[in-house]
Amino acid sequence: MSAAWDMVPVLWQDILTTVALLLPALVVGGFVLRGFAPWPLVRAILWRFRGASALFVLLIAISVGMGIGLLAQERGLRRGTAQAADKFDLIVSAPGSELTVMLAAVFLQPSDMPLLDGATYDEIAGHPDVEIAAPLAFGDSFGAASVIGTTAEFARYLGDGRIEGRMWETTEEAIVGALVPLEIGGEFSPAHGHGDAADHDAHDAAHLDVVGRLAPTGTPWDRAILVPVEAVWEVHGLADGHAPERAGQIGPPFDAAYFPGTPAIVVHASELWSNYALRSQFQRDRETMAFFPGAVLAQLYRVLGDVRQIMSLMALVTQVLVAAAVLLGLFILSRLFQRQLALLRALGAPARFVFAVVWSFGATLLLAGAAGGVLVGAGAAEVLSRVVTARTDILVSAPLGWSEVQFLAGFVSVTLLLSLLPAAVVLRQPVVTALRS
Amino acid sequence: MGLPLKIEGLVVPGGRGRVLLSVPELSLPAGALVGVEGPSGAGKSTLLYALAGLLDVAGSIRWGEVDLASLRAEGRARFRADSIGMIFQDYLLFEELGAVDNAALSALFRGRGERAGVRARARDRLDRLGLGGTAGRRVASFSGGERQRVAIARAMAAEAPVLLADEPTASLDRAAADRLVDDLVALARETGTTLIAVSHDARLIARMDRVLTITDGAVTGDREATA
Repeated sequence: MSAAWDMVPVLWQDILTTVALLLPALVVGGFVLRGFAPWPLVRAILWRFRGASALFVLLIAISVGMGIGLLAQERGLRRGTAQAADKFDLIVSAPGSELTVMLAAVFLQPSDMPLLDGATYDEIAGHPDVEIAAPLAFGDSFGAASVIGTTAEFARYLGDGRIEGRMWETTEEAIVGALVPLEIGGEFSPAHGHGDAADHDAHDAAHLDVVGRLAPTGTPWDRAILVPVEAVWEVHGLADGHAPERAGQIGPPFDAAYFPGTPAIVVHASELWSNYALRSQFQRDRETMAFFPGAVLAQLYRVLGDVRQIMSLMALVTQVLVAAAVLLGLFILSRLFQRQLALLRALGAPARFVFAVVWSFGATLLLAGAAGGVLVGAGAAEVLSRVVTARTDILVSAPLGWSEVQFLAGFVSVTLLLSLLPAAVVLRQPVVTALRS
Repeated sequence: MGLPLKIEGLVVPGGRGRVLLSVPELSLPAGALVGVEGPSGAGKSTLLYALAGLLDVAGSIRWGEVDLASLRAEGRARFRADSIGMIFQDYLLFEELGAVDNAALSALFRGRGERAGVRARARDRLDRLGLGGTAGRRVASFSGGERQRVAIARAMAAEAPVLLADEPTASLDRAAADRLVDDLVALARETGTTLIAVSHDARLIARMDRVLTITDGAVTGDREATA
């Protein structure tokens, strides 16, 4: 059975799952409404209680919208972080926390990390399967932008070669990420450290000219300033990575004896499969740690996946509770038109017709609320995406997907079944008592 | 054409062993116009609701060949839909609907094949009652007399052979009440409908063929009406 299901195309799996979720509501709706045309009465009741009805629809829409908006956002965040890590096939660093190194190297979150020496860098860069071995040097900033020292090769790889202006040619030149508020031709002096703790005067002597701008990458690197790694070493009074006879050289090869150290090396292998061999080779106790940022994210997603399931369940329960409260409100509301319902019975309407009127009233509010919830959800996801993107520079896009559609289908089904209850209770009211009330 | 009524041993029970209404025997011919009078709380409306099959009763209420009292609730509802029209003191209309939609209310729960017929008759009854020009207007804008005429059109749209009216003129001023009585009686006579009207309105009662008096849950008077 499971194997047969796996053979069904994913799109059809989604469609079938959605239909299966909606099926209980469709069956019940079909049975309740079969042969009747209650809509003029439902419209009349909706119009009579338009204020309360609008409020109920709004409550449901907000509750549903927040639920599906959060779920869409969580998925968008996953995609955004995965995309941000896309260019970072393999990272080699000193042993420690893979998560910390990934956050620092991929997401540019400041962190104190031990350094790898020149010999280790040489070994990695000299490996025949390694196409790019880029040292990263963190620690400086300009305004909100991190100043990252690396190689021109990696900067080009990061931007897929799309650079407005040109690549740096000296240690006094820099290129900026797409969102950095510096123009080509502008000049800056990096501060030592980040944020409030930054020492703005520490590197006063250093002046760097902006000579190029990277195309947008949808990653935190869009808000980074990239400089030759030698420039970072120099402004900190360290060797520039090259022997005196090669003074002034920019980029690899570096001389191990003059290599001041780097907290992380981003490795891009010539072949995808080589990454695994490289990871095995550079995963050494007490020397180096090699890991795939994608794998670390996947671990994180697994943990978040459990949280997502709990969140989904909580969101569904919350929404069902809101819907139940609304249905209770409907029941109370229905007391106000119980004479009209009794009239229908007095005119000879079958009990199922009266049931259909009350159920349809509730169903209309729930469906309108759910439809409104889609709009609220899409809006909430869009707003959250912008907020997260603005705060993290991870390009988060969270369009509603099948998960949200299925979540909505589940909500609609459960609540339409729940709305049978008030309809059944209303039907139990004695007709004559209601007529005389 | 109306239905004849034959009641035998009718008892409408109240709570705690109380009897709300007892009618040992009563016969009415088809097409009769019958007024029911008596003090408030005597059981007039109870009789009307029992005759409509809205109450669980003991005994027999035979409309033509059908013993309504022996039917289950859904069977009684089907009988009402086909054979009994009801009019209430305060009209009980859907204020948000137009006159014709109110008059054709029963079309909503009838089969597709019957709906058009009910709507056509509803329009015809509204025309007959002088509301043809306002059939599409919401009844919320209608006067009391107009509303009650819409209620009459509703009661007669299904061509029910029996019409049960509970204080149909009580909410109207004298002029509107007189006009309504004229319309009601004329329509009932024209269609041969059996009309039973509970009322305190002497002018309505006077237009009936026969008048029943109910006191303390029993029929204590049965006379011909005097116009």
